[in-house]
Amino acid sequence: MAEPTGRRVVVTGLGAVSSLGIGAPAFTAGIRAGRSGVSRIRGFDTTGFPHTVAGEVHDFAPRRLLRRLDPDEWGRSSLFAAGAARLAVADAGVRPAELSAGNAGSAIGTTSGESAVIERLTAQWVEGGFKELDPALVRQVPANRIAAAVNRELGLTGDAQTIATACSASNYALGYAYDMVRTGEADLMIGGGADSVNRWAHAGFYRLGALAEQVCRPFDVDRTGILTAEGGVALLLEEHDHAIARGARVYAEVLGYGVNCDALHPVAPDPGRIAECIRAAHRNAGVGPDDIDYICAHGTGTPTNDATEIQAVREVFGDRIPPISSIKSMIGHTMGAASGFGALACCMALYEGFLPPTATLAEVDPRLGDGVDCVPGRARAARPRIAQNHGFAFGGNNAIVILRRMS
Amino acid sequence: MSQATITAQHRRQLRDLVADVLELEPGDLTETSSFVDEHGADSLQAIEILARLERDLGVLIPQEDASEMTTLAGVYAVVARHAGWATAHG
Repeated sequence: MAEPTGRRVVVTGLGAVSSLGIGAPAFTAGIRAGRSGVSRIRGFDTTGFPHTVAGEVHDFAPRRLLRRLDPDEWGRSSLFAAGAARLAVADAGVRPAELSAGNAGSAIGTTSGESAVIERLTAQWVEGGFKELDPALVRQVPANRIAAAVNRELGLTGDAQTIATACSASNYALGYAYDMVRTGEADLMIGGGADSVNRWAHAGFYRLGALAEQVCRPFDVDRTGILTAEGGVALLLEEHDHAIARGARVYAEVLGYGVNCDALHPVAPDPGRIAECIRAAHRNAGVGPDDIDYICAHGTGTPTNDATEIQAVREVFGDRIPPISSIKSMIGHTMGAASGFGALACCMALYEGFLPPTATLAEVDPRLGDGVDCVPGRARAARPRIAQNHGFAFGGNNAIVILRRMS
Repeated sequence: MSQATITAQHRRQLRDLVADVLELEPGDLTETSSFVDEHGADSLQAIEILARLERDLGVLIPQEDASEMTTLAGVYAVVARHAGWATAHG
């Protein structure tokens, strides 16, 4: 259980482009109040869809937020990522010169990349054939542009990694960013994720029978599925001594992370492998089950995920399961950004002293067993010291990040 | 109340549709042969059958009824119920 050697890594900046608001303070206020970011879909024509709500970001004004990128040249997911990163850097109070002169980069997770762009191109193709494809839109398609957008916007000259491990991708990105700073390969790293609401993800989850009609109710006896959602989230990871020397506000320390793959079923999660992933994260972070005060669940609200997740947690924690809640009850499933928003919520929970709620929970599913505290309704005042942030994905890609309070 | 039975034409249409999704010859399917055990169907093909039925027949079939459609006879029963057709026995 030795802690990995290397430098200590802390989170000093937070950025959110979310359905609960723009900026980490607005996002956090929404989370603490148990507010819903779900609304009627505007991003695509929902004619013919039985389910018509999602967690969309309606008040994102990239032109106001971004200083370098021309919003006309970038897809929605790239703009989410760059906007969140710009907010994180401003929040951290890092000088622009320090970003571009130092060894700084980004790692950004996504599920569907520039899905909204691809959807517009597909419509052009169907309506008018290949010759109707707008070349300017074609240029916006490649998923690698999402991290590149962050680097361009901030002038970062280090890594620009887009990580496509779907719904656990932000945790993968944070793990990558953590390793870069820990090993000294980078001094500053943006880790986070971005995804856009789109018609085919909505249709796909509906067809899988995994889409709730109006309300996402993780861990509830009446849960029926996810709500599709979008957003961008960014955490600025910085070497500990550097942060202290410049008098930075430190939200949390990244203790470590764990990743693995079920290598089994395309969509059904495997509790044994998730339990192994939790143990791997604990080993990497140098902590044990008794050290964990809060779990920010993957908690999608599908019958299968939530039952599997609790089963896996029980396998590791036994009868003492820490409070475990799902912010997807408020913002829906932001896909590649989901575990990034979870990490941001963990940082704020550790820094401000609260437990994020499962806002929509009415009655915990008795089949989940005894002793499952999902923090129903609104945030609860508490002083968690160590938080465990879950991200699981189709394909069986599991990733878990462990964060610690600083003071 | 209409007492129309599920016609031979409907049966043929449903058999062809299922055979198409499962990539079989229509003759390979019997009314009681199991899509999963005998024809190697997976859960995504089950969803595809459901989606095709809804699109081709213009009916809405609840997701939970998909678990009933494990044989051609099951498909006849579910479709008859939701398309307003009576079954041969009804």
